[in-house]
Amino acid sequence: MRPVATGCPTVHVEAARRCPPAAAVAGRLLLCIGAVAVSWSAPAGAADKVRLSGLADLAFGTIGNLGLDAVRAEDVCMFSNSPTSGYHVTATGTGPGASFELSSGTDALAYDVAWNSTPGQSSGTILLPNVPLTGQTSSATQQTCNSGPATSASLIVILRSTALSSAIAGNYTGTLTLIVGPE
Amino acid sequence: MFKARLGRLVLAGILSTASIGASAATQGSLGATSTGTVSISASVPNRVQLTGVTDVAFANQDPSVAAANAQNVCVWSNTSTRGYNVTATGSGTASAFTLANGALTVPYSVEWAGSSGASSGTALAAGTALTGLTSTATSPTCSSGASSTASLIVKLSSANLMSMQAATTYTGTLTLVVAPE
Repeated sequence: MRPVATGCPTVHVEAARRCPPAAAVAGRLLLCIGAVAVSWSAPAGAADKVRLSGLADLAFGTIGNLGLDAVRAEDVCMFSNSPTSGYHVTATGTGPGASFELSSGTDALAYDVAWNSTPGQSSGTILLPNVPLTGQTSSATQQTCNSGPATSASLIVILRSTALSSAIAGNYTGTLTLIVGPE
Repeated sequence: MFKARLGRLVLAGILSTASIGASAATQGSLGATSTGTVSISASVPNRVQLTGVTDVAFANQDPSVAAANAQNVCVWSNTSTRGYNVTATGSGTASAFTLANGALTVPYSVEWAGSSGASSGTALAAGTALTGLTSTATSPTCSSGASSTASLIVKLSSANLMSMQAATTYTGTLTLVVAPE
């Protein structure tokens, strides 16, 4: 296989053995079109797309026992059309430096975020703010999971007892932003 | 001698029923990257905790000398002011602070100080909250930060000691309830 064009896209031309050697030369391809295979491939990653959907707000309500971790998990649809269905996920919070913090006025309540590439999970790999979690694979076959698996990953948010027991009483809110990309 | 058990841990809380405003989650679109957002909300209710209390024992007390026992305890409050109140009740009639041995009874007094290391404080009346107290505790059991935050003082006056029957053990239970403010 010999690339005859570079950049985006790349075109590969391959001549079958039964064609005269000269037939594979540019300008004579039409003379042996039935024996020439032309393939097209985009540069790695250029056409890969992802989609994250199925997100829902996470409401912990009133925390009854500050001595226990409070956990909320939800199943989401994570789709990747890369050849490996691979993706990475990056999370940022609304605390200082994109940290994972809820706020109530000037009071703060730290939380943890975990990701699991399998739905239905209540634990996963802990994410650090603004640090991609790589090497994830999606089982989704449709970009919003309308067909195939209904969900393909788990998002887990944890309020640690250490944070809860040191927090000032109040109503805390915050926004978690998730950015996914193909791999 | 009397032995007063003070080991009553009390948690009192006020649940907040206020709703928490939160925006709706947003979904990502198909693209080279995809971004979604989730709103997270949680309500931390008012909570207090009293720990570190120990039994009080006066043994072979000289009736001519007033007896006093002070101990440091941990009171934690998570309110914005770290405030709390404390209410004490005894095991005597109408929650009176009395020790007893059968029909024999003797009164004692209870004081509370909002700092540790105190040998005297504000006298408590049975069943009446002492309000306006503030804790310096940063963890519920004082496992970090201040190791104790308040003082509980139990006193037995000389006059009352003299009213006690010799070689007789008087006992009672003092219950302390703390609540957030």
